[in-house]
Amino acid sequence: MSWITVLIIICIYLFFILFLGSSAGRRRESSVVEYIAASRNLGFLVMYFLMGGAIFSAFAYLGGPGWAYSKGAAAYYILGYCALGLVPWWLWGPRALRAGRKFNYVTQAQLFTDRFQSKALSVIIAIVSILAFIQYITLQMKGSAYIFEVASEGRIPFWAGALIAYVVVVIYVFYGGVRGVAWTNVFQGAFMIVTAWVLGLYFAYKLYGAPSEMFRQINEASATHLLVGPGTKMSFAAFSSALLVSVLGFAMWPHLFMKAYTAESERVLKKTILMYPTFAIFMVPVLFIGFAGIMQVSSDALGAPEKILPWMFMNLKFPAILVGLVLAAALAAAMSTQDTITHAAGSIFAQDLVEQLKKEKHTDKEATMWIRVSVVGFGAASYLVAIFGGQGLVALLLGAYGSIVQLLPLAVATFFWPRATKAGAICGILVGVLYNYGIVLNFIPKFWGIHAGIQGLVLNFIVLIVVSLLTKPMDREHVRKFVTL
Amino acid sequence: MSNDRENSGYGITVFRPGTPPGVKTREIIFFIILCLIILIQAFYFLFANSATPFVLGMPFGMFFIVLFIAIEFVVLLILYFLEAKDVAEGGGS
Repeated sequence: MSWITVLIIICIYLFFILFLGSSAGRRRESSVVEYIAASRNLGFLVMYFLMGGAIFSAFAYLGGPGWAYSKGAAAYYILGYCALGLVPWWLWGPRALRAGRKFNYVTQAQLFTDRFQSKALSVIIAIVSILAFIQYITLQMKGSAYIFEVASEGRIPFWAGALIAYVVVVIYVFYGGVRGVAWTNVFQGAFMIVTAWVLGLYFAYKLYGAPSEMFRQINEASATHLLVGPGTKMSFAAFSSALLVSVLGFAMWPHLFMKAYTAESERVLKKTILMYPTFAIFMVPVLFIGFAGIMQVSSDALGAPEKILPWMFMNLKFPAILVGLVLAAALAAAMSTQDTITHAAGSIFAQDLVEQLKKEKHTDKEATMWIRVSVVGFGAASYLVAIFGGQGLVALLLGAYGSIVQLLPLAVATFFWPRATKAGAICGILVGVLYNYGIVLNFIPKFWGIHAGIQGLVLNFIVLIVVSLLTKPMDREHVRKFVTL
Repeated sequence: MSNDRENSGYGITVFRPGTPPGVKTREIIFFIILCLIILIQAFYFLFANSATPFVLGMPFGMFFIVLFIAIEFVVLLILYFLEAKDVAEGGGS
């Protein structure tokens, strides 16, 4: 009956998170700026874990070991993008922060919409963001469902596991807003880091004597598993373009971009970027878990590679308490991403879509309620996709990156190129997004195995530049406000 | 790299108005270094697509990526302190 102990630990964790997240927003004013941007006063520690929780996701915690297990060296790309993801933010994160304070933005689309004076752009960005969010959040829900399935030894079905995660997250995001997300991420982030290091190294030493011995045995069993390129699980072009699209796209994810508005100061923002590569180092032992599984279980017996982490803990005779803690940490990884995306998606839907399409503006209180209702609705839509959708975890995320990276030219043009026009911005993003989905949906052949997002991005930049130069420049004073921030 | 030089105000504008030339040069240098770090990790297989030798318990390719993560951290740390010093002296961008 060890599964009951495991489930009890997971339930204690869920109740604690529910309490922490729901109470974080208490005694705070009910306003849009507080709910979305925490009144622009989050300090370094909270910012660090808020951003880290987003990357320490089901993709990293379950997909990462799954990749190490099934694809070998291809998993190194996860280390690279975790470390480099926020570097481009050094360029425009502080500018976005200043813009937020100066012009009272709380979402990414508000910045671009104001710069390009286009409500249509706001709607396009909202749709692109929400489509990508649904793919991303589906990934987290599937991760949570896997954990409940493994923890209960198959007694909690997939739909119920995903539902539990959805309900818990929606409750504390509904009540706590971004502050609820931030404080739960502090706890979840610390919890994940400790378990990743302790248990990742434990497997390598316990099962093989040392990590180097583990890799020696893997290398002996399969000479190509620790390599990329022809004859391996990932081609050179696929590795490079997947890493580049992830790095360029990472800081453009609306739920991360809008966190620039929550930071207390520019120094806090830059300190967060500076410390961010440490999260990649925390990922190393997580990958060790996947590598350690190679000699322990066959892929046929395992089923989906994403199940390797929970499988290792459930099948290698660990005490139930320890298994419960590890599975709770894996759940924390999924939920710490799910909450920030649910919060951002609700905010974007209400602020960038509903507010833009309505003739009369909502009051601040009404707008906050709209965001809360959108949080519940978006979570429900994602849940349905998670239950009825297909595809592997990582493939889902890469598809989402391809469309999100198309927002990059808008950021570059906003902060550095005043000549960019509304027509150029709209045409560029439409071409980039449609081209990306054309490849993902197999309407357009993939060129040299290069990531669809990178191909779309090149076209997007070209169209933005050409159309902007062919159209009348926008008001000089207006556009210069953004390049002199 | 111009800073919106002589044109009508629509040219590429990289730096905030009033940024000292020394700071501009430094930021360009750090930009190039960080771009190189990104590219080296994206094309790591050109330098370290090998399982052996095992370094710090990791295959060589993995160690190479981790090494550049550490280098990236140091570079950002230096940049952070240089910028903090500028702000303290009132000359930051």
